[in-house]
Amino acid sequence: MTKKLKKYFKIWWMMSVNSFSVVLGQKSALMVFLIGKIFRFSFFFLFLYFLLKGTGGIAGYSSDQIIFFFLTFNFIEVVTQFLFREVYKFRSMIIKGDFDLVLVKPINSLFRVLMGGADIIDLITIPPLVVLIIIYGVSFHPTFAQVLIYLVLLLNGFLIATAFHIAILSFAIITLEIDHAVMIYRDITGLGKFPVDIYKEPLKGFLTYLIPVGVMVGLPSKAIMGLATPVGIIIAILIGVLSMVLAFRFWNSALTKYTSASS
Amino acid sequence: MHKYFHIFKISFEEEFAYKWNFILWRFRNVLQIFLTYFLWSTVFSDPTKQVFGYDRTEILTYVFGIMIVRALVLSAKAMSVGNDVASGDLSNYLVKPMNYFMYWMTRDLASKALNLMFAIVEFSVLFIILKPPFLFQTDLTVIVAFLVSIILAILIYFLIMLLLGSIPFWVPEIGWGSHFLVTVVIVEALSGSLFPINILPEVFQSIILATPFPYLIYFPVQVYLGNVTGWALFGGLLIAASWVGVLWTFLNVVWQKGLKVYQSLGR
Repeated sequence: MTKKLKKYFKIWWMMSVNSFSVVLGQKSALMVFLIGKIFRFSFFFLFLYFLLKGTGGIAGYSSDQIIFFFLTFNFIEVVTQFLFREVYKFRSMIIKGDFDLVLVKPINSLFRVLMGGADIIDLITIPPLVVLIIIYGVSFHPTFAQVLIYLVLLLNGFLIATAFHIAILSFAIITLEIDHAVMIYRDITGLGKFPVDIYKEPLKGFLTYLIPVGVMVGLPSKAIMGLATPVGIIIAILIGVLSMVLAFRFWNSALTKYTSASS
Repeated sequence: MHKYFHIFKISFEEEFAYKWNFILWRFRNVLQIFLTYFLWSTVFSDPTKQVFGYDRTEILTYVFGIMIVRALVLSAKAMSVGNDVASGDLSNYLVKPMNYFMYWMTRDLASKALNLMFAIVEFSVLFIILKPPFLFQTDLTVIVAFLVSIILAILIYFLIMLLLGSIPFWVPEIGWGSHFLVTVVIVEALSGSLFPINILPEVFQSIILATPFPYLIYFPVQVYLGNVTGWALFGGLLIAASWVGVLWTFLNVVWQKGLKVYQSLGR
């Protein structure tokens, strides 16, 4: 098992180095995207700051708590984009039939199409985000247990995000459509920039149970604020595990529908 | 004019050839409205509350107004100009007996017509479901001024698209990058499609209002709400018209210089 993990880590490292080299070879494009991402984050942060200055808080949450929700959402989004950027390129692989070349290689095909192209631009933005999370997180004076639960629920959030990405890849094999599917996923998870408590039913229920954005990005923040219940935490972990099981089943089923078109 | 009418017709029909693409694009627009609507609805949960000079009716009218104005202003096919330049496909159009800019303007209008139709349906459905307080403008002068501001916004956005499309004359590899920076990041942030610009401090407002971006969404919706009247309205329309003039002049200079260095790579 350890040997297999080492092998896959080595493959991931090599694929990431290749991917970074491609991006670093186009410095002007790298700068444009990096500036764009930093500007987008900073401007939304600025908006949030002035909005909260005028309102004092939203839906019963203080200004710092709302900002922490936003930072945690961004952290999960940026890390998943850093790891799963290759998903955005999967459509051309499917419509050209190039996925055949992945299937014949002696590595897991899902691993290749999910994690084959780490994004250096997102990687650059992770450290400042972590610093901001620590600054705001410390201000809530959390206990060690609360920090631990926050980290466990963050991992659970990544698990759910991974499941979504696997589902999107599977959907792409069946329908040849991925661009909008992945953007719709991002728009829906984008609703988690704020606590799901601001939404009204049935949207709130939809975001809590069906597309568990609340569990994925909202619950970790609630845990560090001491607002998550033990039952809520257990249900969240069950949702995380269940979503991965369903995603793997969907992937295996989708593979049987692959037509190898154009190849 | 007859040929442009046919381009309009073909472009309109082309949208129906990629139905899922279009439907999912519209669905994404609705999702984006949800975030803005519920955020402001929560902030203004008390109907008597006034924040940043807005009451609940005004702010929710602003949010719903964005839906229609976005469909009219930000739906544009001209973002493909950069691809034509980078791939050498521009040559196919240059040899045809038509104006390249008019071609894209016609395609944009076809896209706007279809998007507007869908936006009205979405507006009606969301209006029935969410039942927001909404300000129906009845002042004819304000409605005319709103329509003029929309026409200017469409022209500003079209010219920005063409200017972005000119960048690949010199740097073909950042065609998509420059679109990402301007249309996905800067326009979304500075046009007022997320929040009214005047909730920011004066200094930020002044900086943003000195750019063409707030004249795409923020200014037309403010005109509709009746928040800009008299000389302020006249001045705002004049600034928007000036931006059209400046961008048009700049585009002509850039485009002529671009054509001189154009090598029709890939052809």
